[in-house]
Amino acid sequence: MRTLLIPLAALAAAAQPSLDGLAPGSIRYKWIHGSICAATNRDPRIQVVPYNDSTIVMRENMAIHWEAPFTYLLVGKERALLIDTGATPEAKYYPLRATVDGLIRRFASLAGKTDLPLTIVMTSPEDIAQNQGRRQFEGRPNTTIAQPPVAVDLGGRLVTAIPTRGTHKDGVSYYDAQTGLLFTGDFLFPGRVLIANDGDYVASLERLKTFAESNPVKWILGGHIEMQATPGLAYSTRTNFKPNERVLQMESEEIGEALLHARRILGKEEVAIRANFILMNRVGPDTLGRWPADLPRPSATVILR
Amino acid sequence: MTAIVLFALAAATPRIDFASNLPAKGTFPAKWIHGSPSLLDNTDPPIQVHWYNEHTVMLRENKAYNYEGAFMYLYFGNDRAILLDQGSTSSPTEWPLRQTVDKLVETWTRKHKSRADYELVLAFSHLHGDHYAASPQFLDRPYTRIMGLTHQQMVDFWGMKNYPSDRVEFDLGGRKIWVWGNPGHIDSEFAYYDTYTQILFTGDMFYRGRCYVGNFTAWMASMKRLVEFAEKYPVTHIVGCHIEISKTGKDYPRATTYQPDEPPLQMDVAMLKRTYEFGKAITKPGIYFTGDVYIANQTRGTMTIDKNPYAY
Repeated sequence: MRTLLIPLAALAAAAQPSLDGLAPGSIRYKWIHGSICAATNRDPRIQVVPYNDSTIVMRENMAIHWEAPFTYLLVGKERALLIDTGATPEAKYYPLRATVDGLIRRFASLAGKTDLPLTIVMTSPEDIAQNQGRRQFEGRPNTTIAQPPVAVDLGGRLVTAIPTRGTHKDGVSYYDAQTGLLFTGDFLFPGRVLIANDGDYVASLERLKTFAESNPVKWILGGHIEMQATPGLAYSTRTNFKPNERVLQMESEEIGEALLHARRILGKEEVAIRANFILMNRVGPDTLGRWPADLPRPSATVILR
Repeated sequence: MTAIVLFALAAATPRIDFASNLPAKGTFPAKWIHGSPSLLDNTDPPIQVHWYNEHTVMLRENKAYNYEGAFMYLYFGNDRAILLDQGSTSSPTEWPLRQTVDKLVETWTRKHKSRADYELVLAFSHLHGDHYAASPQFLDRPYTRIMGLTHQQMVDFWGMKNYPSDRVEFDLGGRKIWVWGNPGHIDSEFAYYDTYTQILFTGDMFYRGRCYVGNFTAWMASMKRLVEFAEKYPVTHIVGCHIEISKTGKDYPRATTYQPDEPPLQMDVAMLKRTYEFGKAITKPGIYFTGDVYIANQTRGTMTIDKNPYAY
């Protein structure tokens, strides 16, 4: 039996690159997820959580904006990179600039420097759920707002850009070779993926799948969470209290799953409900899909806040 | 009509005359509270209180507490007050409806030297959670009657024998409220007409927003009943439970929490008639703009006319 197992394992390793060389990290915190009444919410405006000692995940409080976007700060020896800028322009409501400034001050101090240059990229510069905080950084010293998308060398840490048009005409995913984290914005995330151009969406998923076959992807980290912990169920648009959220991170296998169903609904007005995301093609954002035969149907519940 | 039996009258206090010089005049606020860009930073009260006149209060739920931004109505009579609808949030620590209403009742009863057992009646427009959520906050309030949460309990509460056609009279002590069935949005809904202000409250059946119609035949029959009522009796204003459109008729998508450009809450009989006439031409499910309101006919409740803004 043992001799049989070895070639099987080798086969699996060929299809999926080994994660062994990646810098370790984890998300061991419960996300802030809104409250019964947004006005009485007492959570921080931005929740700041470490993935590891040079990778920070930030979430906007959904009592400030229902999109509750995730933004990411990656730090190398020479430079910091902010991926996405959130849904709220006003610093007094959503102090992204002050939060990033504080983090960079600490990282610089640990490196024995007075400052670290900052580069800002966006998974879609047109996406108002992720570009609104950008203006807080205008005029910030030592800061580059990168456009068009480029690979960014943070100093011993290379972050590459993969064009992923499809939910936006300017969509880009970013891959951090050090951790194996793939930042996909709203191109692929645990929520309602609003396909803006289905041909582009399929082509981009094919590109992303090929990429993931030759580069180890530890987790896909998207820009939002809209799915509930119950497979296939999503919170409706503009919900600002999500006590039963799914986790943020997704397995790289979801790229293949998304591709399978994006091909199936190509050219159709259709909603594809999957366990960890929902693809919505050529329909309005609030359209309800038919429940798929391969997922257990959750029992109907009426929840009063 | 079925009359509800009155309490024995307290002799000492002079009775307010709710039957003369009708309709009792009142005013609406120039603007209601309407949410804010950041809900966390909203500084409006949890519930806006507006005295339409000395004996009539209109309340609005703050959209930063719940996107429904529901309207509620408190009518005072000599012997009891009625609170129509109890909002979208049940928790008293988050959204203090009980505390707010208690203060209003205390203010009114002190001013008018009311009897010690002055009653509060909690009823609602229809059997949806954004209209009765806070009613449990009143479970330990003395002299308080609370409508039950099934269709049969609702109908029994008013003593109706033939729903929806029965029209019953509920006496607040000189101030009569007329109640009848108003299904169509859902099966279990009432229309409430206040004979004192002559305001007709049409719940989620007819309001400035998306009139979600679950049963179109029932809705049209209810609209016909409302139109016929308004032809027979004077109606000063028609009020509903929400505002979901802008002044220019733009749809605020479902669960919008900042509506800076709201039209007035109140509508008139002409709007009701136009909507009914428009409905006569509707033959299939879909979302229709009548020029006054949206009719969302059998669209499964959650659908809006939202489109993907990034489609290319």
